[in-house]
Amino acid sequence: MTVVALPAAVPAPPLPRRLGNAIRLHVANPWPTLITPWLVFAGVFGLNLAIWYIVATAAGGKQNLDADAFDYNGGVTWVLVFLLVMAVQAMSLTFRFALGLGMTRRDYYLGTVAYLGLLAVMYAAGIAVLAQVERLTDGWGLGGRFFAPWFLADLPAWQLWYLNTVVGLLLAMIGTVAAAVWVRWKATGLYAFFFLTALLLIGAAWLMGVTSSWAPLGRYLSTHEPATVVSWTLPVAVLCGALGYLLLRRATPRT
Amino acid sequence: MTAIVEVSDLTKRYGSLAAVDDVSFVVREHAITGLLGRNGAGKTTLMQLITGQEFVTSGTIRLFGQPPLENAAVLSRTCFIKESQTYPDGFKGEHVLRVASWVFPHWDGALARDLVAEFRVPLDRRMKKMSRGQASAIGVVVGLASRAELTIFDEPYAGLDAVARRAFYDRLLADYAEHPRTIVLSTHLIDEVADLLEHVLVIDEGRLIIDAAAEDLRGSATTVSGRQADVEQFARGRDVLQTDVVGAFASVTVTGLTPSERAAAAAAGLEVGPVSLQQLVIGRTRGTARQEVAS
Repeated sequence: MTVVALPAAVPAPPLPRRLGNAIRLHVANPWPTLITPWLVFAGVFGLNLAIWYIVATAAGGKQNLDADAFDYNGGVTWVLVFLLVMAVQAMSLTFRFALGLGMTRRDYYLGTVAYLGLLAVMYAAGIAVLAQVERLTDGWGLGGRFFAPWFLADLPAWQLWYLNTVVGLLLAMIGTVAAAVWVRWKATGLYAFFFLTALLLIGAAWLMGVTSSWAPLGRYLSTHEPATVVSWTLPVAVLCGALGYLLLRRATPRT
Repeated sequence: MTAIVEVSDLTKRYGSLAAVDDVSFVVREHAITGLLGRNGAGKTTLMQLITGQEFVTSGTIRLFGQPPLENAAVLSRTCFIKESQTYPDGFKGEHVLRVASWVFPHWDGALARDLVAEFRVPLDRRMKKMSRGQASAIGVVVGLASRAELTIFDEPYAGLDAVARRAFYDRLLADYAEHPRTIVLSTHLIDEVADLLEHVLVIDEGRLIIDAAAEDLRGSATTVSGRQADVEQFARGRDVLQTDVVGAFASVTVTGLTPSERAAAAAAGLEVGPVSLQQLVIGRTRGTARQEVAS
């Protein structure tokens, strides 16, 4: 064979730029992660407002209702669960495209996880701000509690933000594991993933039972700040994040 | 010679199937290399291995002198346009170009706009709603405007009509002349690209069966035609790639004729002509198919 010369080595683009590209990949089309969720969220909130208004009107004014009538609401959980959905969607849709553009799996994954983290921070901040408005307007003039319902009603704004960020992050990281499983093994992998997750949860519940840990857990939950309690999920989120990378590291872009 | 891609003893197995079977070759810098072969020959798998999208079973790959897998330093210098590329849901043509402009360091936005106009790509249409030809055109625009040091086109023009394909070849050559770079063009439309290629790799059933300069390859075989009896007599004992018989006339494609042999054939009243790259590849790949059946 002919004598082969090596081409000059060129350093890789700096890491921040590579991660930035992976993040921007998700923002190029802002609808699925930035616009649609807020629109749906606004829709859910609007429906709640309408229901409160109808109930209050039917009762002949909100003064005729119990003080805690509109205190219980799960509308916010929708956004948090949607973070899981976004994680699954974003990764399953962009992985093949990213690799097609010559991104490495590592850069792509780090950028994607960073983006999901930013989303959790952003959505939690939005909820915290709206919760303040909710308090200042006495529940939108109807005594409703949507953004900070139930036991969150009197939580300081920063704690509310922290709580939703951490929960959102956990769900997003669970989403990345599911997405990585999907990208690597498709439907078969997801069946196994959900089966194992169910097994793990049941196993944990059983362990709690045989060690009589339910009562202490209840005591712990009722005597500690919600922000302290959710902090315990941070290691789980980190673990899921690492697991997602281990799975994606050996994935190939298949159709 | 500088090797941009260096592949040694490369094998990729899916179960018992060897999609790429013990392949070794080099892609030279600043040349257009054709990677030819039939559908399912292993072309796409080979290119996915080279760009680190697939994992090798055995053997080594060097891209710009380095292993490509998870190597941002060499992958960022590479642009791989494949027919089977899928795009994120809801992505429009403009989104694809926007992301490409961020990712490729040498991206030329003016060239991209120019090509979009020439290929009449509807940028505001979702990739999912585009016709095959329109989606291919997006790939062609990205591949050319990326100006990547190594640009790999894998069947880049599925669904493009003859006019658009011609435009692609013209733009490719023009831009390549102005900005020399290394281009690998994988296709089964051999006749169309024959004039573009400086080097030819032919892969068949996972194996590399031709690795030669296009120039040498064109001279490596000759078509001899005339009366069937004369042709048969001439072909006896020679390496015949292909035989066609029409009535009393026949033509054979034979390898390795010396000038004096050509002269002898002409003197015997036979017509001696050049063989196209396509005929050559068909002859060689059919050959292996025959052997497979025979064994």
